[in-house]
Amino acid sequence: MSGVRRWAALTRRELLKLGRNPQAIITSLLLPILYLVLFGQGFNFTNLLGSNPFITPAEKAQILQQSFLGAPDYFSYFSAGMVGFVAVTATLFVGANVIFDKLFGSLKRTAASPATATDIFGARLVAGSIQPVGLAFLVLGLAILLGNLGLAGLHISVAVSVLGAAEVVVAILLLSVMFASLFLSLGFTLEQPQTYFAVVNAINLPVLLTSAALYPWGLMPVWLQTIASYNPVTLAVWVIRITFFGDAYYAHPAWVYLGGLFVWAVGMFSVATWLTRRALAPRR
Amino acid sequence: MPDAIVAEGLSKTFNGSVKAVDGVSFSVREGEIYGFLGPNGAGKTTTLSLLTAVLGPTAGHAVVDGLDVFRHPHDLKQRIGLVFQEATADQDLTGRENLELAAALFGVPLRETPRRVNELLDRLALADAADRLVKTYSGGMRRRLELAVGIVHSPRVLFLDEPTLGLDPQGRAGFWKIVSELRKDSGMTVFLTTHYLDEADGMCDRIAIIDHGKIVAEGTPTQLKDRVGGDVVTVRPIGLADRLEAALKALPGVTAVTVQGGAFRVKCPSGEALIPKVVEAATGLGISIAGISLQRPSLDEVFLDFTGREYREDEGPTATDRAVFMTRFQNSRRGSR
Repeated sequence: MSGVRRWAALTRRELLKLGRNPQAIITSLLLPILYLVLFGQGFNFTNLLGSNPFITPAEKAQILQQSFLGAPDYFSYFSAGMVGFVAVTATLFVGANVIFDKLFGSLKRTAASPATATDIFGARLVAGSIQPVGLAFLVLGLAILLGNLGLAGLHISVAVSVLGAAEVVVAILLLSVMFASLFLSLGFTLEQPQTYFAVVNAINLPVLLTSAALYPWGLMPVWLQTIASYNPVTLAVWVIRITFFGDAYYAHPAWVYLGGLFVWAVGMFSVATWLTRRALAPRR
Repeated sequence: MPDAIVAEGLSKTFNGSVKAVDGVSFSVREGEIYGFLGPNGAGKTTTLSLLTAVLGPTAGHAVVDGLDVFRHPHDLKQRIGLVFQEATADQDLTGRENLELAAALFGVPLRETPRRVNELLDRLALADAADRLVKTYSGGMRRRLELAVGIVHSPRVLFLDEPTLGLDPQGRAGFWKIVSELRKDSGMTVFLTTHYLDEADGMCDRIAIIDHGKIVAEGTPTQLKDRVGGDVVTVRPIGLADRLEAALKALPGVTAVTVQGGAFRVKCPSGEALIPKVVEAATGLGISIAGISLQRPSLDEVFLDFTGREYREDEGPTATDRAVFMTRFQNSRRGSR
């Protein structure tokens, strides 16, 4: 009981701090909004095919379907990918907060209390994983809204079942848990914010660029497809795309990709809790 | 009275070479205020970090409130209070929220928490600012909040690590008044580190002087001061008075005479009794005296006597600071390879 209370109190602390820092939430939203409103509109190369007189509408549809794995256009394909991207960028701050708590002393106080490393890690993980789920749904809502404003937007081409919606939530949550665990372990292990942000940048871009979040799958070289198919961002994005555009172009049903994502999340969670315990243990 | 804290041969070496604490042994009786006095880098904070299970030892053994510190660190943390020298309260939370968080972490029963939090806020004069963010607090308010957080669970042993560092004299006096009252009311044992000699003198039942990681003296403030030779009578003669030195040394009770800036510093057990004899001796020799003063022994002199050097409050980075710097330096080198 006391363990649950400690964990709940630490989670409340994280949520209170988050609620008192609207700038952090706005900043987290800014990047995906810019991607949707600028990059997504400007880079919507579906239009290239539309003006080509040598391609019939049937051929065009086939090319698009193969390139975008069933999504009707690039923006729809890309906006589902942005959800995966948000889960990575929004969890980035959880590790930075650990470093700032070290510098400002509050982590020292918590570590000297009876709270275990698991309590401390778990509270930050929960608070850090809630935000990306909220942001992901804001991104989806905005992508659909843009379509209704006469711009390129997200067009969901199959009926979304309750199970499908649940799978989307679980996929975003698992991806958030995985990246929040990764960034938390960096936060607990590293000492300086500069080092942390340098390491995070070195992780973020390769993760994004080796995933299927942005690239049309059909245009990716096979070797990159192979790498991308193991990338957790790809796995989460595939679950979302299957739910929104159907599974005709996928080798497995969504639950298989969810399973892969679960393995990633559990693996990273285990490594991160071990690193956190080590970092918070009395120094020998 | 049983011992609340027992340390036996405690040692801590950082990075295999920086010996911060070197075989320290002492005991603190229940209900006592015990001070660890020494300059920066002497090993005070490292000793306190060992006793509170923040650090693991290189060697040695410690028992606090009947618990083996290094075997039962989790149980220990529930029984002790700890006030760090730096601010650790969360600045983005209010004073009340910080206390509620500490109450939850230290297992204060949920029903008792509001009462205990309000009681502490009142007692530490923070009630009016209870619902303000800590970032708006003054230095003195933050120190009082740190103390409140440290005692929210009514610990049996309270560790204070240079708790008044950076406070003005008024703030320091106020802080110690509260600690004295708390100790009187609850009977808790207090272990404090300080490099303020006057604090150690005024607050502590017993003091250990630590230097270069070793305890060089231990006792009550009075005992320590007695051990350096009692009072000092300073005699300032008019003109040359070489003959007076021999006469002063010959006086009964005088343990030492030194010449400093044209004045004689005469050590003796009782200065008050010696002064008439000094005047008599000078008059007998036809030497006029410009001034005569009596100094009770202070801890400054105790420190000088036991460490062989003058007390300075700022003596560079601590052993812990040096070790942390070395670790970061080595990590950055590894990272750049």
